[in-house]
Amino acid sequence: MNVMTTCALRKQKLVSQIITFIFIGIVGAPISGVLQKTYAADTEAASAATPLNTLSPLLDDLYTVLSISFVAILFGIACAFYLQEWLPQTNWVRRFIESVVAILGGVPSIFYGILAIGIFFTDAGTLKTVGIVRGPQDIGDGSALGPLSFQYDTPVFYIVVLTFILMVTPMTIKTTQAALRSVATPIREATYALGASHWQVLRRQVIPIALTRILATGCRAMSSALATVALIFGIYIWQYTNGPREMSNRFILFLSGALFLSIFSSVLIKLCASASADPTHPTR
Amino acid sequence: MQTENVPSILSVRNLSIWYGDKQVLRDLSFEVKQGQVTAFIGPTNSGKSTLVRCINRLNDFTPNFRSTGDILFRGVAMGTASDATALRKQIGMVFRKPIPFRGSIYENVAYGAQISGVNASTHLDTIVEKNLRKTGLWSEVENILGETPEQLSIGQQQLLCIARALAVEPEILIFDEPCGELDPIETVKIETLVRELTKDYTLIFATNKRRQAARVSDVAGFLYCGELIEFGATEKIFTNPQDNRTEQYVTGRLG
Repeated sequence: MNVMTTCALRKQKLVSQIITFIFIGIVGAPISGVLQKTYAADTEAASAATPLNTLSPLLDDLYTVLSISFVAILFGIACAFYLQEWLPQTNWVRRFIESVVAILGGVPSIFYGILAIGIFFTDAGTLKTVGIVRGPQDIGDGSALGPLSFQYDTPVFYIVVLTFILMVTPMTIKTTQAALRSVATPIREATYALGASHWQVLRRQVIPIALTRILATGCRAMSSALATVALIFGIYIWQYTNGPREMSNRFILFLSGALFLSIFSSVLIKLCASASADPTHPTR
Repeated sequence: MQTENVPSILSVRNLSIWYGDKQVLRDLSFEVKQGQVTAFIGPTNSGKSTLVRCINRLNDFTPNFRSTGDILFRGVAMGTASDATALRKQIGMVFRKPIPFRGSIYENVAYGAQISGVNASTHLDTIVEKNLRKTGLWSEVENILGETPEQLSIGQQQLLCIARALAVEPEILIFDEPCGELDPIETVKIETLVRELTKDYTLIFATNKRRQAARVSDVAGFLYCGELIEFGATEKIFTNPQDNRTEQYVTGRLG
């Protein structure tokens, strides 16, 4: 590839990123307007109600978080495979999605955490009553009933799932694509030269080589999801030190989960680095 | 060897290739005869690799690749053939660097056969043994078939890659500078093997070592800056070249 085409490609990429950025802004502005309105309405409602232990219904337990992020990670891996292996590099869909991923994947997960707090919680720490219908007995004495279980059929649930997908998927797409790219081109070409089809090349060469990296990717994304949840709990505890004790337990649980997963993913990356440290197969 | 009266298996007509805006090959036309070794010589960056990769349609994966002209394999234009995988099974390729796959030596050779659809293990055993014998590697790896190819020398790895390519049972086998990384003793082995393989296969050989082409080939083509300067019997190219540049190249004054 000569210098001129590289320059042109870079320019195209920049332009598409700027367009994406503006697009996200245009879509994002009305959403934030709506959110501010509901926020104002909620603060009025919250001042009348007792602050309840309403964080727990949002993220009921570790299982919920893990299963949601698992779905998001699988979705991200599927996306990355489609982008990297099937769409040509010059395809505008691929360029657009890669631009979105580059912007969203670069945002630290703490911002997603703060965003989630802003979207789902009122000032008093109660959950915004978007979809959860609560009986009158709850308002009287919430602690007696214990934490509400997560309600799977409410709009809040879907919004939470969307937030997680928004947070975890770009990160997964970015790193999975890097993992697929790390499979050396000569290995692919040698397999193609034997008469293998695209699927055979993927199944026999690319996936086994990239698998460890992709797993590490998934672990890292899950770790960041847990860390974000831990952050939400952390802010909750910081604001309401006399709140329910189980909150601090959860904070520690999620934080340690995140720490474990991030260490585990580093170990995986180290493992696959030593496994593919072959001087005859330099990665491009 | 007779260059006339042999059917041609591959004919290239007016082939031009661009990478982006840069033209790499200019209007190439030649015929490859069945059962002969056709060598392409030329200095670095003269387009030898591009040409042989084109015959295998490996350039399909290169971005910005563009070509005009035809390559006819057994009279059928391969540019229009939609199934490149079937074509690559008939036209094998050996690269400059040996590229052993993951898995054992046995699995490496069996891989080629498995792609073509052979699955019964008894068949695989005979295929692996037959092809390793062809390359002369059998006696050296007979007892370590289950181990990884990393412990073999580079030359042995290259022989293994040739055995793997042979297991697909191609008609044409392309060598893209197969001795570029090897020492002289291993090079001799590969060259002897190439001469032996002529019995069953048509071979295309790209190299930038002039003497090597003179040793192994029946027909030679001299590529210079993307142009096919001269194409004909090896003896003629090396002893009585028609073009001034060919003479300068084979005598060592150019490139």
